[in-house]
Parts: sequence; C-alpha cells; structure tokens
Amino acid sequence: MAFTKNDVKLSGDVPKTLLLQKHSDYLASYGLNKDDFEYCMTEHLRMSGIYWTLTAMELMNQSSRMPKEEIIEFITSCQDNESGGISASIGHDPHILYTLSAVQVLAMYDRLDAIDIEGVVRFVTSMQQEDGDKWGEVDTRFSFCAVMTLSLLQQLDAINVTKAVHFVLSCMNFDGGFGSRPGSESHAGLIYCCVGTLSICKRMEALHADELAWWLCERQLPSGGLNGRPEKLPDLCYSWWVMSSLSMLNRIHWVDKDNLEKFILACQDAETGGFSDRPGNITDPFHTLFGLAGLSLLGNTSIKHVNPTYCMPQETIDRLKLEPQKLHI
Amino acid sequence: MLKIQYKRKENELDTELLELTGKVLMSNPDINTLWNIRREIFLHIRKDYSEEDLTKMYDDELSITQYCLKKNPKSYCAWHQRMWVLTTRSDPDWKNELDLCNTYLKLDERNFHTWNYRRFVVSQCKPPLQDEFDYTTEKLLDNFSNYSAWHYRSKMLLQLYPDVEGGRPIQDIHHKHELKMVINAAFTDPDDTSAWFYQRWLLGAVKTSINLVACAVSESKITVAFSKPVSLGYVQSSTQIFINNNVLNGEWISCCGYQYDSLWILKQKVDLMGDMDIKAEYEDENKERIVIKCMKYKEKMYIGKGKISFENKYSQPVVEELNDQLKSCRQLLALEPDNKWTLLTTTVFLHCIDAKLNHKETINNLEILKKLDHQRAGYYSDLISKWCIEEQLPIDYCLNSMVFKVKTSDKITCLPHLQYYSFCEEVDLSDQNLCSNVLPSLILLQHCKILILRNNKLVTLKGFPNIDLEKLDIQGNDGINVEELKQFKQDHKFVTIF
Repeated sequence: MAFTKNDVKLSGDVPKTLLLQKHSDYLASYGLNKDDFEYCMTEHLRMSGIYWTLTAMELMNQSSRMPKEEIIEFITSCQDNESGGISASIGHDPHILYTLSAVQVLAMYDRLDAIDIEGVVRFVTSMQQEDGDKWGEVDTRFSFCAVMTLSLLQQLDAINVTKAVHFVLSCMNFDGGFGSRPGSESHAGLIYCCVGTLSICKRMEALHADELAWWLCERQLPSGGLNGRPEKLPDLCYSWWVMSSLSMLNRIHWVDKDNLEKFILACQDAETGGFSDRPGNITDPFHTLFGLAGLSLLGNTSIKHVNPTYCMPQETIDRLKLEPQKLHI
Repeated sequence: MLKIQYKRKENELDTELLELTGKVLMSNPDINTLWNIRREIFLHIRKDYSEEDLTKMYDDELSITQYCLKKNPKSYCAWHQRMWVLTTRSDPDWKNELDLCNTYLKLDERNFHTWNYRRFVVSQCKPPLQDEFDYTTEKLLDNFSNYSAWHYRSKMLLQLYPDVEGGRPIQDIHHKHELKMVINAAFTDPDDTSAWFYQRWLLGAVKTSINLVACAVSESKITVAFSKPVSLGYVQSSTQIFINNNVLNGEWISCCGYQYDSLWILKQKVDLMGDMDIKAEYEDENKERIVIKCMKYKEKMYIGKGKISFENKYSQPVVEELNDQLKSCRQLLALEPDNKWTLLTTTVFLHCIDAKLNHKETINNLEILKKLDHQRAGYYSDLISKWCIEEQLPIDYCLNSMVFKVKTSDKITCLPHLQYYSFCEEVDLSDQNLCSNVLPSLILLQHCKILILRNNKLVTLKGFPNIDLEKLDIQGNDGINVEELKQFKQDHKFVTIF
C-alpha cells in the first residue's frame, strides 16, 4: 500500500539500547586526522561541526574530552574584524550560520568574552538593514540565527523584532507550517526555525498551533521515525526539527514516543558509534547530536535536558536567564 | 584553496581566479565563500568588458550553476548564484528559466529549491497567475501525490479568487470546485496523505472573528477575555469598561505577560458598594460597537458574557457540497471501515457541518481513531477535549454560575478556551486525564479561589502559576514526588492544599 511506500522497516538486529560510551568515543576521535578527506571536504562548515560535536558531548556530560582552549582560540581567529561576523573556518567569509554556531559554543563554555560581541551585533543587525545577507540571500533560517545569536548575547533589542516576526509570519502556509521564504512549501526544519524565532520573540500566539502540530505529528511513519514533509522518507534529524517544534507548541504527546525512541536507537551504529539518518547508514556528528537531543526531549534521563528552542543544554539557557516561550495547552 | 585565498588577498580578481574557484565548486558546490569571490570578480571586471563578453561570461556562469545543480539539486548556494546572475545581468532570459523549472520539476516534482526558484522567476517575469494555477492542475492530474503542487495551488487560489465582498478567504464557486477536486484526489488513493491536508485546509478556510467573550469586575481585579489573542494596542483602542456610565481609566496588563494575549487585566481599584451599572464595550472588526452588560453575580462581583460561537460559517453552496461529500465518505467507509483517513475526514465533515447535532458521533469516531491510528492517540484525545469543551461552553454561558465543572463523560486531557472561564471562582477539574504540561495554562483563572485538580495525572507541580487561590485540591495525583509537594506547600502558605 502507498501508506508505507516512503518508509523503512526496522530489522531485528538494530541497536535497542543507548550506546553512550560509543558515541562519546566516536565524537572524541572525529576529525583528529586533519589530512582526512572528510575533514577537508567539510572545512566550509567547520564551525557548525564544532557546535554539533560539543553540544552532543555536553548532553552526554562528556565535554571535557573536547580541546576547549584550542576551540576557543579557533573561534577568536575566525572573527572578521571589519564586519564583526564569524566564518566557518579561517580564510572563509563570515556568515550568520557560523556566527550563531560560534556564539552557541562560547555560551556553553561561558566564554563569550573571547570574541568582540559588539562586532557580532553589528554584523547581525546589518543583515536586517540590508534585507538579507550581503548578496541578497533571504531565508527564515537566517532570521532564526539572528534572533538566537542576539538573545544569547542579551541584545535582542538591537534589531527590529517586530519586523523579524512579520517576515517569519509572512512565510506561513495553508497547513500552518513554514518554508524558507514567503511562498515556500512547509518543511519541518524550517518550521523549527520559524517556531523558534517566535519562541524567542515571545510571539507564539500568532501560530495556528493545532493545525501546525497536527501536520507535525503526521510526520510520524509506521516505523516510528519522522519525515520532514508529506510522502518523504524518515530521517533521524527530524526527530529534532519536529519534536523540538512540538515541544515549543506543548504538544509533544501527539506522537508515539516509544516508537520514535525505537527508531532513534535503531539509527545508532553499534560498531563505529554515532547516529546516522536511517538505520544502517554512515554516522556523522550532525545526526549524532540530533539523535541525542531527540532522546532528551523524549525524557531519556541518561542525557541532560536539552532546551527545545536553542538546541543547547537547559542548564546553559538557565545560566543565561533566557526564557523562550512555550505555548499553553 | 591556498592559491585562491592568496589571490583574493592580493586583490587579483581576474579570470584565473574565476577558473580556480569554478573547479573547486564543480566538485563541491556548497562552499559559499567561493561563490562570494566569483561575485566579487564579476563586479570588479565588468566595467572592462564589452556587452558581448559579459553576456558570454554570465551564460558560462549559468552553465556552471546548472552543472552544480545536476550534482546537488539541493545546493542553496548554487541556486542563489543563479538568482544573482539573473538579477545582475542586463539581459535575463526569464522564459528560459521557466523552462528550466519545468524540466527540473519533471525530474523531481518535490524539490522545494526548484519550486522556490520557480516562484522567484514568476515574481520577475510575471506571467498571468492563471497560467501558474493551471500548471498546478496539470501537475496534480499527472500525480495527485504532489504536496508541493497542492501547496503552490493554495497560494494561487487565495490570490486569484478571494471573496472580497463576502469576506471569506475563497469565492464560493471556487471553494466548491476545489473541494470536489480534492475529494476526487483523495479517493483515488486514500492512503496518500497529500490531498487530505489540502482538504483539511479547505474545510477550515472560513471567516473568523475576534469577540470579547467575558468580562469580570471585582474590587481587586478587572479582566476581559477575548476569543483569540489580541494586542495591547487592540485592547486600548477597542475596549472600554464603564461603571455607572463613567469610563474606567487604567493600565491594561497581559495576563500571561506577552504582547498578544486572550486575557487582559485592567489595573484599576474600584469601589463596588451597593448596586452598580457596569458594562463593557468593544468595537468588532466591522467597526460596530458591541455592549456587554455585566450582571451582579454576588456582592462586589459583576460578570458580563459576550456571544460565543465555534461554528464554521460556510456559504450555502459549500454546505451542500460538504453534505454530498459526507455521503461519499460514508459509502467509502462502509467498504473500508479501517481506513484512518476516510474515518477522520468523515468525522471532520460531521463536525464542520453541524458540530452540535453530530457531537456524539464525532466523539465516538475519534475514540475509534485513537485505536486505529494509535501513534497519534494524544492528538485525538486533545481534539476530543476541545470539541467537548466547545459543546459545553454555550450551555455554561447561559447559566449564571461562577463554577466551572467539566461535564463531559470523556476525560479531558487539555484546557482549551480556558480564558472563557476566567471569571469563575470555583474550577473543578477533578477526575480528568490532565498532565503537568497543562499547569501553566491555569494562569488564565484570574478570579479562581477554589481549584480542584483531584485525581488527574500530574507528575510534577513545576510550572504551576502564581494565582490567588484559597483552596487547592491536588489529591490523587500519585506521580507527584513527596519532597516536591512539601516544598510546594511551604511556598504557598496562604493556600489550603489538600
């Protein structure tokens, strides 16, 4: 039947328990060999790579295995003096995506003093003034990065929040979801960005919560996994995009938590450690973070509490005294 | 990469650098910095080139993006570069771009990058909207399981056929036509979900309005509740409370502390000795002033209630269509009683056509759906709660009572529309299936003195709001930790807690 045509079947021999030690070992050794092909090919997103890895380690209470001083020094050297923005790696252009990753990492380390904060604020606010990035690219991902970065720096007022909220709301669709630009189709990853923006700006009442949450819970497939759009294959990363959105909407109980947990655990690689997009595929730090963060939202107590808006440990968000909005039900 | 970085540093923005960056991008199109460099080169050298040469260079750039998109059709960077070229060059060929979209959407009809690019092209060359609408018809007739096309269609529909006169989102005749088309699609393959979402939207595409639903005036607190969250600006400009024909001035405060709220508190101490003439006035969206008279419920407590309505107001032709489709759904359901989508749609039809008349059947169906589609049992439970409260509210609003007690036989799992009960002094939520995630919502019970949460499924009191209760009953919530309860009692010394 068509109902299951875009789904996977979990075989009997998939992992059924959480292999924390394996994941910690996997992330600790990831990227150690800097001549590695994989390492070179991902240079253009190095900063996000550090954020995924460190957050995953933090959630497992294993961040002491990361070279803290080296990371902080690297971030400092990636800040562009002129624009104030931060790049993915040395020699690359500053970008809002990597500026956010850098700020998230420093916030977790409680070392925001390692960068020129006013520079970052200048960089982020210039993007709003110019309606997009330097080359005219506009995207709800960037709106989310901007408000998240500024709120972590306690400077949300530096931009016109009403204008940012308006832009996000102009991307709302018939199904209550959001895409990357006005008119774009709903997609769970971009829904997370838009719901997250409204959560930080405390304007979640503008959502059509029931319609949106229904669409989101319909992402769960018979395998227990979640897809990002109707009639697409499940992917572990949606355990984060969908579940964090549902969590902000206070409707996490609209999916079957046990089935989802089974799917997430099945995406572990028992030999190499780490999580992959689907059972049996190659693991990477990106999916490893979202697997662990998804399990945290589902209430797994061997992982630290994750904040659904910031995708960072709740303890960091508490320390910064941030209170992103969650809807009433 | 080192050479590229060196040349850029030395400001050698030339064709050699164009070639170097091109080579790397063709193997990895996602390196944003390299596209930035290419754009810098174009801007730098264009003054030295003839129109003809520039045309050739821009054409070559389009070829490179096309190569990259073949390699990775989801490369944000490559798509953006294409947009940049088209908006930068003086001689864009939009027709060619639209053809490219058609070709790409034949290869992958769901690639949202291609659809985004198509919308960009359309925004530039502005073909008749009707052509784009017809394009979605064509794509859908080709394959109904094309959510991207349904999505695009929803945008076209609202632009092409808004019901300007009637104030509805879509003109009747087109609303009806779409309903016909979508049920046809859904019945073609009932297990494909795409069409069902579009249909659910069509069913919800009705006029909605903001109403002041409840006003409560006591000496210590004045509240007004709205059917939907409204802004401070709206409350200030549209709402007034009068005591003996004197308007009350004071500061409006959001109950939950947000910019938009469904419950607003007027900071103003008033003296309510004796009998008062109290009324609330507000302006609805037709700029009509509505007066709500507040009755004396007891000494120093006046309550006014507005009109409430949860019905979907469809036009007559649409209602007739819905009734026809309900019949078809019932026939299909008889053949396939276990099809979730058919049962859900039947239920939504019943609710939309006449929620009150069909209440029993809809709730019964949702109970079946909880088992049939067990992964989403939580959704169906909350929907049952919502529809039951919507059923109970109009009845409660006819009574002059300050007590809210859940009367439905189905246990509720959430607290929808709670602002409607903001005037109640006693709220009895005992013997329901409420979990701790509902606790923050209780802040809407601004006049509540006695709150009964006995025999629910609370596991923690975290998130319990700061409200002036006299009595709180939380017995029979066995999940709450003893230590936490002890601390909670200490923190709420003025409340009698059971």
